[in-house]
Amino acid sequence: MLAFELLLQGLVQGSIYALIAVGLTLVYGLLRILHVAHAGLFTLGGYIGVLITNATGSLALALLVAMPAMGLLGVAIYRTCYEPLLGRPPYVALIASIGLFIMMEELFRLIFGPYGISFTAPPLQNTVAVLGVNLKEAELATMIGGIVLIGGLALLTLRTRIGTASRATVTDPKMAEAFGVNIARIRDINFFVGSALAASAGVMVALLNNLVEPTMGSVPSYKALAIIVLGGLGDLRGTLIAALALGVIEAFGTIYLGNLLDRDAIAFAFLIAVLMLRPQGLFGKG
Amino acid sequence: MQEKLIRTTAFAALLGASAAIGLSGTVLADSVKIGINVPQTGFAAADGKSALIGAQLAAEQANANGGVNGKDVELVVYDDQASPKSAVPIATKLVEQDEVKIAISGSYSGATRAAAGVFQEAGVPYISAFAVHPEITRSGDYVFRTSFVGEVQGRAGAKLIGESLGKKKVTLITLKNDFGKSLANGFKEAAEKFGIEIVSEYEYSIKDRQFGPIVAKVKSDAPDAIYASGYFFTAGPLVSQLRSGGIDVPVIGQEGYDSQKFIEIAGGASEGVIITTSLDRDSDSPEAKSFIAAFEEKAGYKADMVAASGHTAMKVAIAGLRKAGSDDPKAIRDAIAGLTLEASTGTISFNGLGEVRKDVQVQVVKDGNWHRHSIISDPDLLAPPEK
Amino acid sequence: MAYEITLLTAMGIAVIFALSLNLITGFCGQISLGHAAFYGIGAYCAAMITKSGLPFPLALAAGFLLAGAIGTVVGIASLRVRHDFLAITTMGVGFLFLGIVRQQDFLGGEMGLSGIPSSGLSKPAFMTLVLVIAAAVATFSIYLKRSWMGYVFDSVADDEDTARMMGIDVSRYKLVAFAMGTALAGLAGGLYAHNIRFIDPESFGFVESITVLAMVVVGGIGSVWGVILAAAVLSVMPLWLQFISDYKLLLYGALLFAVMRFSPNGMAGMVTAILRRSKTTGTGGKA
Repeated sequence: MLAFELLLQGLVQGSIYALIAVGLTLVYGLLRILHVAHAGLFTLGGYIGVLITNATGSLALALLVAMPAMGLLGVAIYRTCYEPLLGRPPYVALIASIGLFIMMEELFRLIFGPYGISFTAPPLQNTVAVLGVNLKEAELATMIGGIVLIGGLALLTLRTRIGTASRATVTDPKMAEAFGVNIARIRDINFFVGSALAASAGVMVALLNNLVEPTMGSVPSYKALAIIVLGGLGDLRGTLIAALALGVIEAFGTIYLGNLLDRDAIAFAFLIAVLMLRPQGLFGKG
Repeated sequence: MQEKLIRTTAFAALLGASAAIGLSGTVLADSVKIGINVPQTGFAAADGKSALIGAQLAAEQANANGGVNGKDVELVVYDDQASPKSAVPIATKLVEQDEVKIAISGSYSGATRAAAGVFQEAGVPYISAFAVHPEITRSGDYVFRTSFVGEVQGRAGAKLIGESLGKKKVTLITLKNDFGKSLANGFKEAAEKFGIEIVSEYEYSIKDRQFGPIVAKVKSDAPDAIYASGYFFTAGPLVSQLRSGGIDVPVIGQEGYDSQKFIEIAGGASEGVIITTSLDRDSDSPEAKSFIAAFEEKAGYKADMVAASGHTAMKVAIAGLRKAGSDDPKAIRDAIAGLTLEASTGTISFNGLGEVRKDVQVQVVKDGNWHRHSIISDPDLLAPPEK
Repeated sequence: MAYEITLLTAMGIAVIFALSLNLITGFCGQISLGHAAFYGIGAYCAAMITKSGLPFPLALAAGFLLAGAIGTVVGIASLRVRHDFLAITTMGVGFLFLGIVRQQDFLGGEMGLSGIPSSGLSKPAFMTLVLVIAAAVATFSIYLKRSWMGYVFDSVADDEDTARMMGIDVSRYKLVAFAMGTALAGLAGGLYAHNIRFIDPESFGFVESITVLAMVVVGGIGSVWGVILAAAVLSVMPLWLQFISDYKLLLYGALLFAVMRFSPNGMAGMVTAILRRSKTTGTGGKA
């Protein structure tokens, strides 16, 4: 029973990780950029979610605004910040991205205050029984939302023309271009989709914690990197599985290893162990 | 052209730099300078803001009451980002360039501990407002603290749970940092005395906001009460998740919870949460009453423990300066050591190590606000370390 | 003067630390996101030794050796992974180091180590020691860069596979770079511990690893002078910027971003560009 509860809690956390990491992996697959500032879009998504819900009382509206808004901001960041750096070694974009992320965190603090903001009347706080385990509606929504959004995305990449073009671009950009794929458009779309998913994760975390702080993105900023590496860098399915696995490992680890190592150390011990056995990640192609 | 541009830029930069030095070098002839290091940027900025406003308030109140020895009090503020690395140069600057007569820390333990060594070496009195690390006052006889060390508050928590509430089976949820660890140590030390059996203990990191796994495990432990250390931003989500996980037993926290923001985050789940802290909202003391009103007016939000601590530390510094009647650091130090003062956090005095002696205020959340639950006044139990 | 001495000491330690990473990242092209762990190993080791009453020079040497030894072990393990996988692995090493230190009571756990004895040197003498070591590390870096080994490092950084085909034992050179870099980080850590005289796990966390990597990249990866300049400036920037307290970190972030965006070769690249341009205008713009 306890094990089942821990499993569910791990999957909730894993769904959040997955929603954030999928965007990163889309970006990495195409551009080989470790996009740290992605976590800033996640945080801003949370802020917009709380502000709009508080103003209008509608969580659905908040999601409908936050997701496309962050999607567009993601595209804007790509166009202005990363595109000019594409020919450079990867650490150039990495440090630029870190600088951008620090700026975003500080702007959040200056604009929204250091204490963070909360819902005045938090939605989805009732508990429901799932197979005998009490879960908050928000936790359930996070799990289902994560599966639906990422599953939908996976379906799109497999079944649609844009999806095929995107996969082709990841595998071989030059060849894809030769076949008439508009690479610039594919990149825009990937940034848009990835950033919108991060925004949805931000809103979900705001619901779970009833708190959006300026530093909300600091843990995801590095843990999402670990997840996409575990998943094999650029591999959508691998990222999803790695995110869920990490959530579950952390859930059990907090209880049974908590007196030996903290949550971060457990996650990274797992990461190092995996990379020593499979240097290309769990699902990477060796 | 290029060269001229560079020369112009360099000149402008020099000008700017000298203007900045000029500004910071301006000294009002008739003022006494008190230094303060607080985190204004970075992860601890929220607490830094409250502490600074509290300290500024105390300075304004003093200046409205004739200042200190005929001079106005002037605050010299530096942002230490709560980092030991920044605190050492800042302390050096306060001592050497600003020539402050006394300084206070509105920062966390690491930064305060590192700065305390510099002030001790220079022979400048230094008062820590709310940092809990036991080693801070051990830096030497010029270092004081106006808040409880973690151990003392942990012992008070054990008395509250074991004696006042009569709960004997307790689960500890401990924040993994100096604050949480020292609280847990104090609690465990006193647990036996109050007949408390610690059934389980879980640790979490200051970055955690998701406590689902701990909640699930605590439920299966079925304790009578939960002693959980944390700050409002971890305790808010924790208490809310404990309650929605179906755990109804009392949750006892500490001064880290002490903020209106905790109630805002946890919402209805915060009702009935009891904490040990330093600020009594229902106090009859005019000091506490006037502070609570004046702070809300100045800051625009409700007073919290950190604000009251910043205010108290500043008040102690000012009282020390007044009592000493001179700028001599030794005289100021001696004055503080012998002080008994009415402050927003109660009647305080210091022991031989520079640790504060005062009562523990127990507050409970009722109807969305902090209110008095009780007061723990037990000099033996609450005796701070002497060396 | 004491304040200037404090600043110069902090700068000197930052320069040693940044140059140590430059050996790994700049010369050999291996990105490390966990370098602060070795800084921390040196700091903890040195502090434990002086706390037990042994002399300060021994503590520095021990910090240097222990960090280098652990660095070599990590280096051997890291040989299995490359590029971004390596960056994330080193990041993991950093978090693992923190997680382990936090649980060790003999290292002070969460409370850190306080009451670290003084080095026995006066403040000006300690500063002189730091600056002399920094100068020595800089000289060593320049010498290394110009030596035969430096060219080998260059070829490894440029293209590992080609280097391997040319018969270079890539693994061995990577390991040497890792060992030297981590040992020097340990030395910097020993100096840090006896400068601040209080250390806690958080001082050697991810933020510190990022900060030092930023120094190397902003300075101009591989450029010894650029890295020295960037380390000196970035290490004391928060203190210089006190008068804009609220916007300090914002400006820091903006600076990191702007340098990368507009001068991807860092400060060193900026200087080269300016020199080249003034040269061309000097020759009448023929080139």
